[in-house]
Order: sequence, then C-alpha cells, then structure tokens
Amino acid sequence: MPIDVSVVRKIAALARLRIEPSEEERYARELDGILGFVEQLQALDVSGIEPTSQVTAGERPALRPDEVCASDVRDEALAGAPERDGDYFKVPQVV
Amino acid sequence: MNRPAMSATDEMRAKYEPVIGLEVHAQLKTKTKIFCPCATTFGASPNTQVCPVCLGLPGVLPVLNERAVEFAVMTGLAVGATIHPRSIFARKNYFYPDLPKGYQISQYDRPLCEGGGVDIYSDGEKKRIGLVRIHLEEDAGKSLHPEGKEGVSTTRVDLNRAGVPLIEIVSEPDIRSGAEAYAYLTKLKQIVVYLDVCDGNMEEGSLRCDANVSVRPRGQEKFGTKTEIKNLNSFRYVEKAIAYEIDRQIALIESGGRVVQETLLWDSARNVAETMRSKEEAHDYRYFPEPDLLPVDLEDHWVEGLRETLPELPDALRERLVREQGIPEYDAEVLTETRSLAAYYEEVATRSGQPKLASNWIMTEVNAVRNKTGDTIDSFPIRADRLGDLVGMVASGRVSGKIAKQLFELMLASPDGPEALVQKHGLLPIEDDAALRALALEVLAANPGPTAEFRAGKEKTFAFLVGQAMKQSRGRAHPEKLQAALRAVLGEAAS
Amino acid sequence: MSAPLVLESAEALAAAVAKGERSAADVTRAFLAQADRTAPILGTYLHRLAESALRDAEAIDRRRAKGETLGALAGVPVALKDNICVRGVPTTCGSKILEGYRPPYDAHVVERLRAADAVIVGKTNCDEFAMGSSTENSAYQVTKNPWNLECVPGGSSGGSAATVAACEVPLSLGSDTGGSVRQPAAFCGVYGLKPTYGAVSRYGLVAFASSLDQIGPFARSARDTALIHSALCGRDARDMTSRADARPIALDGLEKDLTGFRLGVPRAILDEAGAGLAPSIRAAFEAAISAFERAGATIVDVALPHARYAIATYYLVAPAEASSNLARYDGVRYGARRSEGDLRGMYEATRGAGFGREVKRRILLGTYALSAGYYDAYYLRAQKVRTLIRKDFLDALEVSDTLLLPITPTPAFKIAEKTDDPLAMYLSDIFSIPASLAGVPALSFPASFDASGLPIGLQLVGRPFDEATMLRVARAYEREHDAASRAPAIATAGGGGAR
Repeated sequence: MPIDVSVVRKIAALARLRIEPSEEERYARELDGILGFVEQLQALDVSGIEPTSQVTAGERPALRPDEVCASDVRDEALAGAPERDGDYFKVPQVV
Repeated sequence: MNRPAMSATDEMRAKYEPVIGLEVHAQLKTKTKIFCPCATTFGASPNTQVCPVCLGLPGVLPVLNERAVEFAVMTGLAVGATIHPRSIFARKNYFYPDLPKGYQISQYDRPLCEGGGVDIYSDGEKKRIGLVRIHLEEDAGKSLHPEGKEGVSTTRVDLNRAGVPLIEIVSEPDIRSGAEAYAYLTKLKQIVVYLDVCDGNMEEGSLRCDANVSVRPRGQEKFGTKTEIKNLNSFRYVEKAIAYEIDRQIALIESGGRVVQETLLWDSARNVAETMRSKEEAHDYRYFPEPDLLPVDLEDHWVEGLRETLPELPDALRERLVREQGIPEYDAEVLTETRSLAAYYEEVATRSGQPKLASNWIMTEVNAVRNKTGDTIDSFPIRADRLGDLVGMVASGRVSGKIAKQLFELMLASPDGPEALVQKHGLLPIEDDAALRALALEVLAANPGPTAEFRAGKEKTFAFLVGQAMKQSRGRAHPEKLQAALRAVLGEAAS
Repeated sequence: MSAPLVLESAEALAAAVAKGERSAADVTRAFLAQADRTAPILGTYLHRLAESALRDAEAIDRRRAKGETLGALAGVPVALKDNICVRGVPTTCGSKILEGYRPPYDAHVVERLRAADAVIVGKTNCDEFAMGSSTENSAYQVTKNPWNLECVPGGSSGGSAATVAACEVPLSLGSDTGGSVRQPAAFCGVYGLKPTYGAVSRYGLVAFASSLDQIGPFARSARDTALIHSALCGRDARDMTSRADARPIALDGLEKDLTGFRLGVPRAILDEAGAGLAPSIRAAFEAAISAFERAGATIVDVALPHARYAIATYYLVAPAEASSNLARYDGVRYGARRSEGDLRGMYEATRGAGFGREVKRRILLGTYALSAGYYDAYYLRAQKVRTLIRKDFLDALEVSDTLLLPITPTPAFKIAEKTDDPLAMYLSDIFSIPASLAGVPALSFPASFDASGLPIGLQLVGRPFDEATMLRVARAYEREHDAASRAPAIATAGGGGAR
C-alpha cells in the first residue's frame, strides 16, 4: 500500500505524535521509500521458519523470587515530574 | 449519553437466547509485583510502592516473578486447562496516564493456559462453563479524577497498583443469564480463594469482571452483535447489569432497532448501562512479542510438581464430605464455602462423632453469629475442638439442647471448653433420683391447681408441669428422668 | 621527552594507580585538562562531571592509602554515552524530550565501572535515542571527527568514539543496535566492541530496540577493550536477557599467535555495497586478509546468503520495537511537557515538540509495521528472515573461527553531507547490521588510513560469547600495524600532560 498523507496522519495519531501539516508530505514520501525498499523481503520464502524475536530465547531464564525489595526513588521521581499534586503525578483531564 | 429505558416483556424474552461471556481479572496474592520487587499491599499511600521499573523510567527492564507464574499455572490446573510448555509475553500498546510505559505487558497469541472449565448449578441442573484461556498480565496504575471546580480539570495518577500481577480468565460464551453469570463468578472466586492465589476481594479490586452480552433468536446459530459492559464492581452488579442489557437488546430488536457493538459502563446507583464516550479511533494495540522477557518455558516435572501441591478443590471436597460424612449435598455445599470452614466442620464432626448434628450446629448457630459479626471461620471465637465437645455432649445427653445453647453463648466470650463452663456455671445436669424427686415434689406443691387437674385425668397438664420443673432447674434436669420422677410423685400422691 | 600521560593505555594507568605509582587524582586531572582543551572544539560531551570525577578519584586514592586492593580499572577515566543512566546526572539521549531529566538510579554498567574503581567523567553526545550514523541527529550539538574536523565521528555513539580518539579518556561506553559502536569506532580510528547479545546487562541503558541493543566499549587497544569488557560482562538479575555465559577475558590469551586459526571471509557481501564501497576500504580489506594469512591464519571462504536482506529486516524490527519503547515519553512522569488543552493535546504536543525528525520517522515506520493488517507482512516476516540471518552466521562460524568483514563502505563523510536522504544513510549500515540481527559479537578495529589521513576500520565477527577470539585476532593485527597506536593531531597538540 502506498503511504500517503492520510496514512501518515492515521499512524501519527496512533503514536500520539504531532506532525506539522507542512511536514506530512515529506514523511509520506520517506516512509513510502523505506517501505518500498523492505518489499524485497516478500521475495523470500519463509514458510516453516520460526520467527526470532529474541536471540536468547530458549535459554531458560532465571525468574525472580517473590521477595520485596523497597526502592528509594519515590521522592526523586516525584520531584522530576513535569507537574505534581502532592504525592500524585498530575496530568490534564483524560477526556 | 442517556438511553431510553427499555424493557422486554416475558413474551419477548421467550423468543431470544442470551449469550454471555465473561472476562475476569483476578489479582494474584504475590508479595511483589509481576516484574519488579515492589510490594503489592492494598491501600498504601500514593506512589509509595514504586521503583524505576514500575514507574516506567527510561532504561529499566521487567523481570518475571516466579510466584506469579506458579499461581497462574495452579489456577489453570484447577480448572483443567492445558498448560502450555511455552507461552509468550506481548506488549499491548496504548497511551493512558496510568500506564507508565505506554504499553501493558500481557499475553496475546501464546497464553499460559487454554481450555478447561468450571461447573455451576443453573436451576438445579449441573452445567459446565468452558474457558477460552487464562493468561498473565500486569495491572495499570490508578487515575483519580477529583471533582474539581468549574474549569479546573486534572487527573491525578497513583502508580502503586501499576505492575501488580493479574490473571485474566476468559470464559466461552456459554453463559445464558445473569444468574448463571453470578453462579460462575461465585465458583471462580471460590476456586482462586481455595488455591490461595487471590483474596477474592471485589471491593479492593482483587476480582474484576467485564461482560460480553448478545442475544439471538432461539434456534439461530449465529451470534448476535455483542456489547461489552465494564465497571462491574460486585457479583450482584454483574447479575443485574447482564439482565438489564439482555432486556435492552431484546426490546431494541423487537422495536425494529439494531444492537451496535459498543462498550457500556454500568451505573450501579441508577441501575443503567451507559455508552462510554466513544474513542476517536478504533483500537489498534499493535501487539508484538515482548523482547525484554524471554518466552516462559515450563518443564513437565515442574508443572506436575505443582499439580501435586494443589489443595483439594471445592467440588472434590463437597463430594468427599457427602461420601465420608453422609451429610446431604446441600449441607456439603454450605460447608465447603471456604477451605477453612470445611476444615472446621470436619474437625467438629470427627471430634463429636456426629456428622449431621455438627453440620446443623455450624449451619445454624455458628453461621448466625458469623453473619452478625462478619467473622470468618478463622476469626470465629469458638475453636472447632470445643464445638466438637459440645456437640458430643448434646448427642450423649450430657446436656440438654437448651443448656447447650447457653454453653454456646458462654463459649463465644470465654476461652474455656464446654465441660469447664458446665462446672464453673453450675450447669451440671440433675440426674440424681433423690434430687429429681425433691424437684418434682417442690413443683407439684407450687402448682396445686394443675396438679389436681392432672390427677383428675387431664393428661395435657403433664407437659406444663414438666416445663415448670425444667424452668425451676434452669434446664439442667435430665429430661427423661425428670418425667419419670414427676410421674412417680404424681402417682404416689394419688394412691 | 616521554610520551604524554593521556596516550597511555588504561591497562598501564590502572596498574600504576593500583601500585601507587600514580594517583588516581593526577590521572583524572590530566584527562580532564585534555578534555578542557579539546572537548569544546570537538563537541564530544553533553555533560561533564569534572568535580565528581575528581572527588571519586581522591576517594580511590584514599582507599589505596588505607591498604585496600583496587579494581581492574583503578583510577581510569571513563566517559558514557548519554543514554546510560547515572543517578542524579542529566541523561538526555541527545533528545529534547528528556531535557532536564536526571535518573534516580545507576545503570548496571555504572555499578560495574565503580566496582572496578573507574572514574566517570561525563556523558557524551549521540544521535537522538541512538538513531543515526553521524551524531548529527543530536538535538543539542554536532560532534566533530578528531582526525578531520570537517567530518562526522560516525554514530550514534559519535561522542564516545571521538572522546577516546582524542585521548580525552582512555575508555568509553557506547551502545550498538545496528552498528552504533562499531561504525563510529571505524570513523574515529579506535576499537569498538559490540558484545554478544546478552553478554552485558542492559539495565540502565535507555532502550532503542530491545532485542538488538548492547552496551559496548571504545578503547585504543585490543587489550584495553578486553579489560573493560571483562569488567562489564556477566549475568545481571535485573535483565532477563543477560547471560552467565559471558566470562572475563584473560589478557595473556590475547598474545597467542594465529597458527591453526581459520578466518572466514564472506567476500560476496562486499558486492552488496555495490558502487558505494570505497576503493580504500576494499584495499584495506584485502590487505588485512593477506596480513592474517602471513600471521598464520587459514583463510576460509564462507557465505552469508541472507545478509543482503539485513537492512530491510532491521528497518522493520528496530523501528517497531522503538515505536513501543519510546511510548513512555509522554510528558506524564518526567522530561519536558508541553501542555495543550486536554490529555491528548498534551501527549501530541509533548511528543511532537520533543522528538526530532529521525526519531519521528522511525516511530511512524514502526507504528505502521506493527499496526493491524500489516504485522504479518512486515514485522513477523522480518523476524523470520532474522532467523535465517542468524543461521547464516552460526553456519559460517562452524567452518571458521572468526569472520572478517568491512564495517563501513567508506571512511568518515563530511558533516551535513548525507543527512537529506534517510534511505541512503540506512544503506551504509550493510556491514554492521547483519551481526546485530544475529546477536553475535562483533569488533571494529583500526586497520589503516586512507590517502586523506582518515582512519579505516574493519570488522571481526565471532561466535556467541567468544569475544576473546576476536580480540586475539585484532591483537595479532595490532602487533604488526601502527593504525591503532596513532593519535590525531588534536590529541597531541597540547602536550597531553606530563608523564
């Protein structure tokens, strides 16, 4: 599917990314170029091939024992917040 | 948005079959969160149980809590699900202020457990509700929307709950009514509480439920369009909301309308379901395998080891009580409400040697007190061995039913056993012939009228005299022996 | 006149400090002075830590005075790429969206460096969120190549490469997702190691593409590279993908010659770069093969038939993971917020203003690749091709012990020369990306210089968790060539501190 401005708008909305209208055309062109390039993968026969989402998959990882370890970052974390309300993070209303 | 109140008539209802599936989120009773070692204590001060990982700071990584996997597998085993040797965590991407990473770590196309089911009773008939899957995921934090002044609109975020482990239990669309949904939830809760993997506390959000509801003309195979109801904070709300939504959909179709696929919020104050403000775009969660966590590979022997540690589950326990103790199915159902109640019962029954009498005492006296005080069986003041002794004393005639109830009241407030209390409060039965004879003489002397009536042949008066004598003895007189003594004395005087 | 202190190896400096022949404070002061002079010209640092570095160095000296045995990096100044978290120290990842952010925790590698008694001297410039090949995508500044100030240092870890090349530090850390350590190492004439995926904990490395990211060191010798890698590698319980198989490297083992060694040469991959491959690179590559042969290695022809699909695969996998990893920059808990109306307005304004063009482009690309209807055709297919690429490497490394490849198609290019065409920029990653997708270790080592005096690097690729063999091969080359020991003029112009 060719990438046009409407697709750029749609995925930008999904990614919560403001794209200036003057930039939309350029992003569309660039993405279209990159996606055109990756089309070459369609030529490969990958039937029966397992996907690799992690090269270390299959190694049995050590899970974490269920033991509490308190962290001391709270004050620093709250102090670094763009906006706080007492001990809460504060954001504009959701709706 | 308000919707017109619509209700269906019985005639309309008869034409449609409701189809309901439930998605239940159960919070696992682990000490720590699913991907970090923060505590999960309910009700802690805002943002105190947080660390770089659950705050979603740049650079941190999730590390899977072994106990959470254990609890999820135990639940799967308990409902007869297939436990997959490999399952995969996936990221569910969406933006929300209480979702610190911008994605929720959940499971998608490779869940931990699939299949299985639970049995419920519907109109007295046993019915199996199938399960689609059980998967592990992390909870989000809490967004609070304080009622602000006009024009002031902010949201406050507390991330204590972010990363608390959940299992999502998805049922097949096998449920046909609000009442069945209620029975299913009750059963599910009973199972997770038996397993001790969830505290089952709906008020604290340890169990949450969303319902998918549709209706179809009876006989039609194809499902109707479904709606999803959220915000169901108690089992009763689930039942009510489903009944409401079934009726709304039937009435809508009957009036020529069409059900629209949407998400509804249940308003428990007004008993209506309302459309959630619609999202600006369709959901596109962009699931993909979580690269920071490796696949969860379970070895057979580990799973089998867990299976062996599973406690006896409610169905098995109920059947065993019926079989071993010979009590009615109904009693067994009541007594297996929780594992500890059943254990309590078993001790009382064994100690007293009186399974049915023990059941009666627990179902009436014990449960009456617990209903009043809100005690769980674990916090109930009378120990099982003591109650067993009391039931045994009743059965052997050591105390009368009346004295037994007095003793029960005393035992509620005293650490002493029934025998000690009998001694302490002078509640020993009067069984001695001479004492009973003296008592009989005293009662006849005090009641010359009724005595004369009896002697004149009015047999009915005898019961009155027995009652008086019993009262005089404060219930301690041995009933049969007392009657014998009374008859003896009445007979003597007449001759 | 003896050689300036700043040209000395980390190994020698640490030994001198450990023995008390030098103080950590003196060593630190010398490197700080060098950076005072050169860093403003080169633009290597986003944040320098002169005061705390001296304090740390003095504390190390006091501990030595008390008789404590010091660590393997005693008193050695180390710089960190600005995507590695240090508690209380600004960490921006070269992005406006993290302006002012100070992490409340230390990365695993920071703990390890401190445990080895290294001295952390600052945070280096990089492409925003490690996305780029020239460090020109930094939201803050451009970094210059110490060998030629008109050229880029490479990227994304350009600051970390340049600061080592300019002898502002003996060692630094970068991160490599598709070549971001190896490529700038080649451009700057230093060593750059991308360890095996899982060898070094990623805890505290700000994620770009989680299944590819590895922290890797820059150094000016094979032995120094081994020294710092040994201090960092190994299992960390906070990173489930980290592995215990990664073991420290014995430096003496690097001195073994190459008798009986099999060097795999996947010559066909050179053609993938087509006309883009500079003659100087090809010449250096062929010369290196001959050099290894002379040193006793057997040359084995190997094939990496799927390597040609690596760029297409990478530019689906990495942006997809990045689009998700960068969702946390939402203006709620940290970083710079822009408020505009409701929550959604805040999200879009914050992210729209906070991210640069390259980052936005990759977020859009990744979001698209994961979105409903395209997942199977793009992301899933790419993950399957990745399986084939990894298998190619493991097969080639069955019949050989280490592979030799170019790392870049050209030496360092000019600043602003390539920023216009993203696809052209991506194509220059053809030699670095395959090993990233395969998760195998790879080392960029200084091989020679082109006619204009720009460094040329080549790449060795090893078996999983066998960093030692690559370093042994590089050390064999280093013994016979002077490419690694030369320093750019800017590094020596100031005298570099008394020895």
